[in-house]
Amino acid sequence: MSTPGTTALPDGGLKNPGPGLITLDPVHTALLHGLDGLLTGLAARLGAPEVMGPPLLAADTLARLDYFRNFPHLGVSAGRFAPEAFDGLAAGEAPGELSLRPTGHLLPSATCYGLLMSLEGRDVGEDGLRLSATGRCFRNETHYDGLRRLWGFHMREVLYLGTREGSVEHLDGGASFVQELAGRLGLTLTRAVADDPFYDKGGSRARLMALDPVKHEFNAPDGTAIASVNRHRNFFGERLDIRAGSHGPVYSACVAFGLERWVHAMILAHGTPERALDVLRDARA
Amino acid sequence: MDPVSAWLHEKNPGLQGSIEPDEDLIEARLIDSMDFLEFVDLLEEISGTTIDLQEVTIDDFRTLDRVRQRFLSGSGLASHAAQA
Repeated sequence: MSTPGTTALPDGGLKNPGPGLITLDPVHTALLHGLDGLLTGLAARLGAPEVMGPPLLAADTLARLDYFRNFPHLGVSAGRFAPEAFDGLAAGEAPGELSLRPTGHLLPSATCYGLLMSLEGRDVGEDGLRLSATGRCFRNETHYDGLRRLWGFHMREVLYLGTREGSVEHLDGGASFVQELAGRLGLTLTRAVADDPFYDKGGSRARLMALDPVKHEFNAPDGTAIASVNRHRNFFGERLDIRAGSHGPVYSACVAFGLERWVHAMILAHGTPERALDVLRDARA
Repeated sequence: MDPVSAWLHEKNPGLQGSIEPDEDLIEARLIDSMDFLEFVDLLEEISGTTIDLQEVTIDDFRTLDRVRQRFLSGSGLASHAAQA
């Protein structure tokens, strides 16, 4: 039994609720899910099981990972209303005027943090471990720009933990996969050294990163970075006491994809969301 | 090289024994990225010269051998100056 008309969008389509906030319409949503499905091909190729990361991250653990020293400006904190605000809220006072209490948690700014935290104190074994997950990530930005720069977006990551050599192989395999998939999707990508938004650009970590880039991005023709390969060396292995058997603290590395940015790149390359969806369907066939 | 080794041991209290001359200090994070500029300061202090980070590569800091050759021997500095 059909109910004609009940699924049609209203005139003007779906409104964006605010800066950096977008509701994806059905075509964009199909693009995002379809692209994510293709990107899981990397996880399948590398034997990375699919997991689901936590929706919030403990601020004290992030502090141990130098997150706030590097990115104090990006973190989106989770607060809850103080009990003394309840009566005001119930009486209709503006929520923005009432006090919040910190929960000690942040919304994730990258998918791999939650995965790494869930391995704290673990031994992943001599052969290492891979995990794959898509998470919704959040970052405070100075400006927002369509699908290119959102307050909340989806990030798929394929994470590796093991040896130094294994982490290099993981990134090489990831980089090849990105270019191969881009070719099937009709995307032209260029590889470049990443310019991450370190808070203190003259600081020690930013200067070392400039001398020895541990992150490379794959950019669409308009400069939008849609994928990155990231080496962590043994940083997380040491800080979170994650070991790889006799190899000691793990070396880790991840391949990351910004899903809304892949949608943007597809529309940029193929003109309209509908044509992009056709190309995507052909690429999946 | 003693002050360099002493600094590395101070930053890595769990480190046992001496550091091999060809050990990769960067990949093993014996020089943590947060301490990198402090390490540069140390080399400037020992050598009495200024290190311009535009003029060096990461390989110049990667091993004790290279650090000695590049920053702590007069000939290394002279040969670099000749190339500049």
